[in-house]
Amino acid sequence: MSAVLYHGQPNGASLTVLAALEEAGLSVECRPVDLLAGERHALTGVTEAIALDLGVEGEGPVLLVDGEAMTESVFLAQYFDEAAGGAGLQPADAYARWEMMMWCRQITERLSPAAALLGNLATSQAVVAAIPDDDFNALATRIVSDDLRHRWQALHDGASDCAQIADSETKITTAIDRCEKQLGDGRDWLMGSFSIADLVTFSWLAGMRLLRPQAFQDAALTTAWLDRVAARPSVLAALARATVAEPLRAWAPGPEINRWG
Amino acid sequence: MRRHVHCRYPKGYELIGLAGLTRALAELVCVTNNSGMTGIAREASGLMDEVTLYHWEPNANSGKPMLALMEKGVPFVSQYLDMLQFDQHKSEYLAINPQGTIPAMTHNAKDGMRVLVESTAIMEYVNDQFAGPNLMPADPQDSWRVRWWMKFMDQWLGPSFSMIGWSVFVGPMVRQRDPAELSAAIDRIPLPERRIAWRKAINGDFSDVEMAESRRRVGLGIAKLEEELGKRPYVGSNQYSLADINIFNSTYSLPLSQPDLAGKDKTPNIMRWLKRVYSRDAVKKTWAMGKTDLAHRYGLIMAEIDE
Repeated sequence: MSAVLYHGQPNGASLTVLAALEEAGLSVECRPVDLLAGERHALTGVTEAIALDLGVEGEGPVLLVDGEAMTESVFLAQYFDEAAGGAGLQPADAYARWEMMMWCRQITERLSPAAALLGNLATSQAVVAAIPDDDFNALATRIVSDDLRHRWQALHDGASDCAQIADSETKITTAIDRCEKQLGDGRDWLMGSFSIADLVTFSWLAGMRLLRPQAFQDAALTTAWLDRVAARPSVLAALARATVAEPLRAWAPGPEINRWG
Repeated sequence: MRRHVHCRYPKGYELIGLAGLTRALAELVCVTNNSGMTGIAREASGLMDEVTLYHWEPNANSGKPMLALMEKGVPFVSQYLDMLQFDQHKSEYLAINPQGTIPAMTHNAKDGMRVLVESTAIMEYVNDQFAGPNLMPADPQDSWRVRWWMKFMDQWLGPSFSMIGWSVFVGPMVRQRDPAELSAAIDRIPLPERRIAWRKAINGDFSDVEMAESRRRVGLGIAKLEEELGKRPYVGSNQYSLADINIFNSTYSLPLSQPDLAGKDKTPNIMRWLKRVYSRDAVKKTWAMGKTDLAHRYGLIMAEIDE
């Protein structure tokens, strides 16, 4: 098996997958790509491209295995866990697994698009807007997914929507409330034992603590849990792959906001 | 006092197909709050290891756990909810699933009554929890591909089927009702995004841009599925899996609902795959649980396809 993990700065989806790889202890070559330069859409050796072209998650990491581009951070974390013969990232009990998957889906459908929107407006909009038009058009042409390309275009155009920003801030607060409630019985990890749910939630929420600190003011359990996750050797190793000073402020176009509102 | 809800199918109903309709109605949370579902409470406190599934017709979201249970050979108590009568908004059902979405499943396990929602996640539980044929491939890369396709359907392609269904069918249907009654009903919908979607459906507020985007996704999704099924006999792997169950339940109506996009000549791989899945005993048993004749009518289409 030849496997290469192409990843962005360790934040969001890339952080989840890099940390999961560390937890699983697999030996996979990791190659950083500059997501905001569109490098994810210029990978070589891709013979099966649909998951790269039409992934729901946006600019997440790409695991290239025998020419097949694999995407979606939760499923890549599951893949690493299973390829390692069970690294303990998923509960063994079927009902606990269901709870974990339901939790992860809540995060990836609601928190991830919201965090990506706020993060991109804060730190990557200026970078993308500064790309000269000719270069941007060349970049945009390489993006197969129309809907992902539109999210890039919105950044390039400097577009922002007050209602979407307010809704995203609400979704951040809602996610924090869910964490507070989940951690309310004194547990260390969201599902009881450490799991993919911790990695995914941390990866999208940790950057929000920098951007929207006021949202965490009354969330002592969540901030303590964020600190616990941040101290995991796997997370430290993932963050050590950063080539910028503050990777939790590094964003790239993420999942789309739910089309239904 | 029991209130009867009458509805009739508007013209154009056939265009969206049963899967689009069911997707649309699966999230429909509306109108009546009277009772009529005697037996739910009794079933929910049933025998050890008893499984009860709350479902509508055997397709789209309801069809997924029905077919997964049937494939695994897990006996279950069927609680048929008639969404056209808004059974999913009655208090007995909301006591089980406060979000009022269908399907839901209860499993009376050793550690107590488990309540499960979300059709794809329920299928994964069914496969993990019970004996029977494994509906996930053993190879991790194949499993990843199965999950990827299910997400692609659940979060990208499926909502586009739904939007067309809401626009063509649900909106016109509910617009026949008393506006004040509808408004009050919408206010009672537990999920805020469902309330927004309902208002759009009722007011006919899906824009041309939104509808065009949904049609684009349906066209592209069908083309990509056709490509995928040219590579492998089943979706994402060489074995029948949860991805086949998931996608079959949302696509078996395509030859009728999207004849310009899917059919014997345009999508031969999809048609052969539909026939392959349709021929399974579990599908026949599941479809026999439907209370309308729609599944039978799709069966007639399948009969015309050469394997």
